[in-house]
Amino acid sequence: MRLDLTILAPYLGFLGQGAALTAVICLLSLAGAVVLGMLVAIARTSQTVWIRRLAFIYVDVFRNIPFIVQLFFFYYGLPEIGIYIDAITTGVIALSIAGGAYASDAIRSGILAIDNGILEAAEVSGLSKRVTFTRIVLPIALRTSVRPLGSVLINMILTSSILSTITVNELTGQAKIVASDTFRPFEVYAVLLVVYAALTWLVSIGISRLHKRLNRDLASEAA
Amino acid sequence: MLKVENVKKAFGAATVLDGVNLTVSPGEVVSILGSSGSGKSTLIRCINGLEKLNGGRIVIDDFDVAKPKELAEARKRSATVFQLFNLYPHMTTLQNIALAPVEVLKRPRAEVEQEARALLASVGLSDKVDAYPAHLSGGQRQRVGICRALAMKPRYLLLDEVTSALDPEMTAEVLAILAKLAREGTTMLFVTHEVDFARQISNRIVFLDKGVLLVDLPTKKFFAASGGLAQPRIAQFLSKMKKD
Amino acid sequence: MRYGDFTTYDLLLLAQGLGVTVGLFLVTSLIGLVIGVLWGVVRFYRIPLLTPLITFIAELLKNSPVLVQLFLVFFGFPAFFHLNVTPVQAAIVTLSANTAAFIYVIAVSAIESVGREQIDAARAFGLSRWQVLRHVIAPQAAAFSIGPLTALLVNQLQVTSLISVIGVMDLAKIGATLNLRTLKPFIVWAVVGLLYYLTAKLIAAAGARYETRLRRFSEFRGL
Repeated sequence: MRLDLTILAPYLGFLGQGAALTAVICLLSLAGAVVLGMLVAIARTSQTVWIRRLAFIYVDVFRNIPFIVQLFFFYYGLPEIGIYIDAITTGVIALSIAGGAYASDAIRSGILAIDNGILEAAEVSGLSKRVTFTRIVLPIALRTSVRPLGSVLINMILTSSILSTITVNELTGQAKIVASDTFRPFEVYAVLLVVYAALTWLVSIGISRLHKRLNRDLASEAA
Repeated sequence: MLKVENVKKAFGAATVLDGVNLTVSPGEVVSILGSSGSGKSTLIRCINGLEKLNGGRIVIDDFDVAKPKELAEARKRSATVFQLFNLYPHMTTLQNIALAPVEVLKRPRAEVEQEARALLASVGLSDKVDAYPAHLSGGQRQRVGICRALAMKPRYLLLDEVTSALDPEMTAEVLAILAKLAREGTTMLFVTHEVDFARQISNRIVFLDKGVLLVDLPTKKFFAASGGLAQPRIAQFLSKMKKD
Repeated sequence: MRYGDFTTYDLLLLAQGLGVTVGLFLVTSLIGLVIGVLWGVVRFYRIPLLTPLITFIAELLKNSPVLVQLFLVFFGFPAFFHLNVTPVQAAIVTLSANTAAFIYVIAVSAIESVGREQIDAARAFGLSRWQVLRHVIAPQAAAFSIGPLTALLVNQLQVTSLISVIGVMDLAKIGATLNLRTLKPFIVWAVVGLLYYLTAKLIAAAGARYETRLRRFSEFRGL
């Protein structure tokens, strides 16, 4: 019963590869989630009832079903309908869709928080709905939702470990291999746990900085 | 010509405008006075199309505000300055001013930006071209708001209580600019609480009371004992304004 | 009937899986609640050494993947401490600890939601720290935490699905079994997902109902 972390030294590069894959997967999925979240946020503020309802159902369903069930649904289901994609792509798609449900909430509240007077100013100056949305609503909403979107990213980093169950060798997947190679699962998983915690801590610091940077000129509009 | 014909507006059971008639010709400065809740601001919001009418008609240079196809043209002919500025917080003053001329009037960006700089210089804000609204004082923001409206080269400038959110010193800054615009012949429809200022710059004064247009008189006549002051409501309003 | 077809027996399997999921969810939520609140009390008393230690452990549990925690307990503990750990034991330990970490956070902010001046006033009347906690803070903190608690429980229900990875025969594992046998992934995972969804909605509804009841009570008292 001796904690010996030196046995991990030869595997650092191997684990690093896993971490890099985790990073790539999470960044791609974050991009997917933000795009999807944006579309769904727009849909949820739509004038048309059925579009609004559809968007709500999407968010409700993907927030209330375990990610592993969603993942298996896509991983085993897609080949069934003739779509053959590799496990990593499947993972990115599943993470994007699940993350999109949360991102839409963040972006939606960013949109709803925009001062109505600003939108009226845009409207009376004759700006089209599209220009108002792309030049005014979205830039403001994305800035103000940096923090909640950051939480989505952090959750995504933690959730991406589940991709190891569909043969994706991201950080957790690589760690599983190291654990069975070394017969030292305790050391491997204890270190892994700390690494994930440190990783998410660093990301949260980065998000705070980004939030400050993007919002330094965006203080209150009041006189 | 900006024509308001028998306009009616209600919010639920509350009638806010009850058959208002008003005409503003190019070159005129018309001030709208009235106590809060008299419908002044709602009238402006009807003219720029932010509120739908419940009756009557508003026409700007023959374009009917109520018709979706004509609203865009009507809006190109008018520009609004708001009480709370409503500047785009994520854009610099220059970007705030240039956005609509480039996107709506499809004018070349370089030309628009050059004009925007000149406008900012004319209101004493040459050094704030790249500043964000959050870093400006209220008076400076409202001056940017005026520049943003002027950049659209509107035939009619609509001003909705543009100094109500400002302290006296800042109010003076903004009013000085409006006086200059009036001298230069800018057509303005000016909703305000500043009675004395309205008296200095207006050709005509309109008084709204509980959604009804009580009088529409040349400025001199409005302040004459036998004219506007003969109306008890107006005499009451003016004496109350003096006390404040 | 082909070997791979669904049978009525499968319904029993699903019900059994749902039972395991709900049972483990209830047990671990209860244990987590007790531990988490206990941690919160430790913090309230500002016990030296113990308070920072608990905060550190809670942060570690909150910011690392549950799957890795599960692997650490299920694979790591037997190897390191030479214990026998069954999948169900590993599931109970991990999920309870993970829930406790989140309950701790809710408990801390619930205690902090009670105004300092109330506590000072109560102390000035000669109430002991324990009496203040029991009579002044606890009722208000409980009312405050129902909302976040409901959201947490809905989330923790989904987290239970990860125990299928270490072989606990919960709803997700039954899904995997049926998926392998019938090769009808869409139907299997849709049904499994639906069962999770309905259970989540049940928890949310119960939380909402309890909250309105509690609120009516506190409004009544407030008069």
